[in-house]
Amino acid sequence: MNFDFKDVFPILHTSFSLPFKEVNDYKLIETVNSINQLKLAHTIQALVFHKVENYMRETVAPEFWFHFNLSNDVEGFSQFYKAIDLLHNYFTQFLYLMRNVNVLRERSRCTEAVYGEKNAVQVLKVIIRATLLSQLPSEHNKIIEHFYETGLKMNDGHFQEKVCEVCLKDSINCRCLNCFYETNRKMVDLELLEPLVGQVLTSLIYTHIENHISKTCKDNFDNSFINILEMWLDNFIINWLHKVYYCGQSSESQDYVTIFKRKLTNFLYETYTKMRINQLFNIIIEYPESLPALEDLGKCLPKTDLRPLLTKKLQKAMETRLLHPGVSTPDILTAYVASIRSMRVLDPSGLLLEMVTQPMHQYLRSREDTVRCVVGSLTEEGLNDLAEELVKGDAVHVDENGGSDEESENWENWMPDPVDIDRNKSSNVRRTSDIISMLVSVYGSKELFINEYRTLLADRLLSQFSCDTEKEIRYLELLKLRFGDSQLHYCEVMLKDIADSKRINHHIKQDTDYTEKNFSMSAMVLSAQFWPPFKDEKLELHNKIVSQMEAFTGAFETLKGNRTLSWKNHLGIVDLEIELPDRTLNLSVTPVHATILMYFQDKNEWELDSLSRVVHIPPTVLRKKIGFWQSHGLIEEVNLNVFCLMEERESNRANLNVDVVVEDYESESIMASTQDQREEELQTFWSYIIGMLMNLDSLPLERIHQMLKMFAFQGPTIECSIQELTQFLDRKVREHQLVFSGGLYKLPKGDM
Amino acid sequence: MKVTIKNWVGVATWRWVANDDNCGICRMPFDGCCPDCKLPGDDCPLVWGQCSHCFHMHCIVKWLQSQQVNQQCPMCRQEWKFNNK
Ligand SMILES: [Zn+2]
Ligand SMILES: [Zn+2]
Ligand SMILES: [Zn+2]
Repeated sequence: MNFDFKDVFPILHTSFSLPFKEVNDYKLIETVNSINQLKLAHTIQALVFHKVENYMRETVAPEFWFHFNLSNDVEGFSQFYKAIDLLHNYFTQFLYLMRNVNVLRERSRCTEAVYGEKNAVQVLKVIIRATLLSQLPSEHNKIIEHFYETGLKMNDGHFQEKVCEVCLKDSINCRCLNCFYETNRKMVDLELLEPLVGQVLTSLIYTHIENHISKTCKDNFDNSFINILEMWLDNFIINWLHKVYYCGQSSESQDYVTIFKRKLTNFLYETYTKMRINQLFNIIIEYPESLPALEDLGKCLPKTDLRPLLTKKLQKAMETRLLHPGVSTPDILTAYVASIRSMRVLDPSGLLLEMVTQPMHQYLRSREDTVRCVVGSLTEEGLNDLAEELVKGDAVHVDENGGSDEESENWENWMPDPVDIDRNKSSNVRRTSDIISMLVSVYGSKELFINEYRTLLADRLLSQFSCDTEKEIRYLELLKLRFGDSQLHYCEVMLKDIADSKRINHHIKQDTDYTEKNFSMSAMVLSAQFWPPFKDEKLELHNKIVSQMEAFTGAFETLKGNRTLSWKNHLGIVDLEIELPDRTLNLSVTPVHATILMYFQDKNEWELDSLSRVVHIPPTVLRKKIGFWQSHGLIEEVNLNVFCLMEERESNRANLNVDVVVEDYESESIMASTQDQREEELQTFWSYIIGMLMNLDSLPLERIHQMLKMFAFQGPTIECSIQELTQFLDRKVREHQLVFSGGLYKLPKGDM
Repeated sequence: MKVTIKNWVGVATWRWVANDDNCGICRMPFDGCCPDCKLPGDDCPLVWGQCSHCFHMHCIVKWLQSQQVNQQCPMCRQEWKFNNK
């Protein structure tokens, strides 16, 4: 044989050098033909690939990975460039060999695939990939990362005006960007881009997106970002990826980028959504300024699966930041209103609203002053969310299916409820759009609200006789629109009482039989049946006052035949002028405070107990009341429980000759608290219950409730849910006033 | 020290001077009003009969109108005569 097939496949020489020495086509064909005659094609091909693999494993791969070993950050870029360059060089040189293998395959009609490939060049690529990846050094990512990070920075134009970070040349002479794209093109050639750097590139871009989002929109709720972000992704990242993947050359690269884009868009949405979800509490608090952020979030939610996360996070934030004793009820209410308004923007179906407000409802229900605060802010003047809602003036619907008409009208716009919502929840509450209705429904009854308003109104009317009744009437009209006339009728009478009182006082002053000694007297004459119950406090007034009141009553009796007055001694307002050696005080105080001072006028020094007996106030309470005058420096406790009027002011205090107006700031309600009232009502039920059980021996809960409903529940507020009744009866059982056995309540034997 | 009371605003509740708390016809408190009225006092006054029973004026008038034959006090069945005391 005068030919050597090792010349055609030089790698089969025991020692060979690169680049391979090429043979001409004639020799190639001749050699191939001989191989075929000897039926050695298969063996030769296998031998060649075996040798190529060996060479790759022993020479190329170690040389390639050697570049990944050392290097600080700056070198990373060029090391990677060099490594790929080296690899690509080998690849090009081996192409000659592969071309010859392909000729051999063709001529020997070999169709058998090697490593799944039928083209030797493809086999070579598989071998290169496999060998490289089998020798991955642990730290290889660092260099790849650095390479692409630098590439991204160049893309962002970070280096433009400065000296290039990598080659330290100025921008005109820097060729790094070219190197970057060249390297990528080589990897695309080798089909190595995706397997070698795909993962690193993805996580790098993820980080880049995260940083970009947090940099551009983190603390800004006043602008919508989602479109801007998507544009940024397209213009910067996706465009750059097109360049990296060298699109236009192969459709495969195009596909990679399409998949990449889908992945990145998802990630972008998810990152932005998560960030907004974490900030949602602040976003809510800043409503309505934060409306754009909310609208963004609303757009993102359907595209991500983060709704459950949102519910969880927001509930958690509410718990830690809002629903605890450190936050005042008005603040919670403000946040509550903002939450409702925000959730409506986020999710028109109203289901999110329900999940978010439910814990708020539960918490508000547990706070004693909630109703008072709600009613208070409803009727307060000035900017206030709830008052704003009141002016909108729709009737309150509680536990009524009032929304159904509206719903059927809009049936064409009906949307199914999102799937993650608990279906067991009643849909009534969430369908009501009105905030006040929702708040009222927290308590399940308008009555409680109205009762609270009545107490508040009573306090206000009695603490300032001259108060602006016109304003109160205006609010009453607004409330009537909400709660209906009948419920607020009592309040109307109260307001009328105040107006009538002014007329009565006017008449009595003109009565010639009525005289006033030393001081002017007037009265607020109330219709007891219509006012909330007053706290029962005793006070024995000074003679001077008592006789004046008697005169006033007499005049009243003459004015209104067959009617008389019962005075509530402890209620009212007294204007005093106190002349001291060094100054004059003008004060508005309660009758109790005035009375104390009057007794001290009669007698300079009082023992607590004896004064207590005179005014009929328990010593502990009296001591507190005297404290008011002590704070004004008029009375001093000279000995334990002995109080003395201080005639002369000590000169170390300022010598003021001006009138000092000091108000009595005791703002405690003079009405019995809602709880007290309730307790009283329950006590009246108790007498009914005893009566029933004496007659009927034993009764189940439902029957007791039914009978109470028939006989005892009267008046606007007197009602009692079965739960409340259970609690009440259980308490009586604990107090041994009742026996519970076999589902029946009984009176204890021998007790009655 | 000299204390001058410039003005004393007291609080009092008014009530009818009657033998009973509730109207014998409508069973509502006298100090409230009859079922037809919304405002108590001047707007829903009491009247006394010569038998000394008293009722919401609106109640007794309604009662008397429903009695075609004898005008009797619903409490004591005596002939009803307004006592203009
Ligand atoms: Zn009546
Ligand atoms: Zn009437
Ligand atoms: Zn009679």
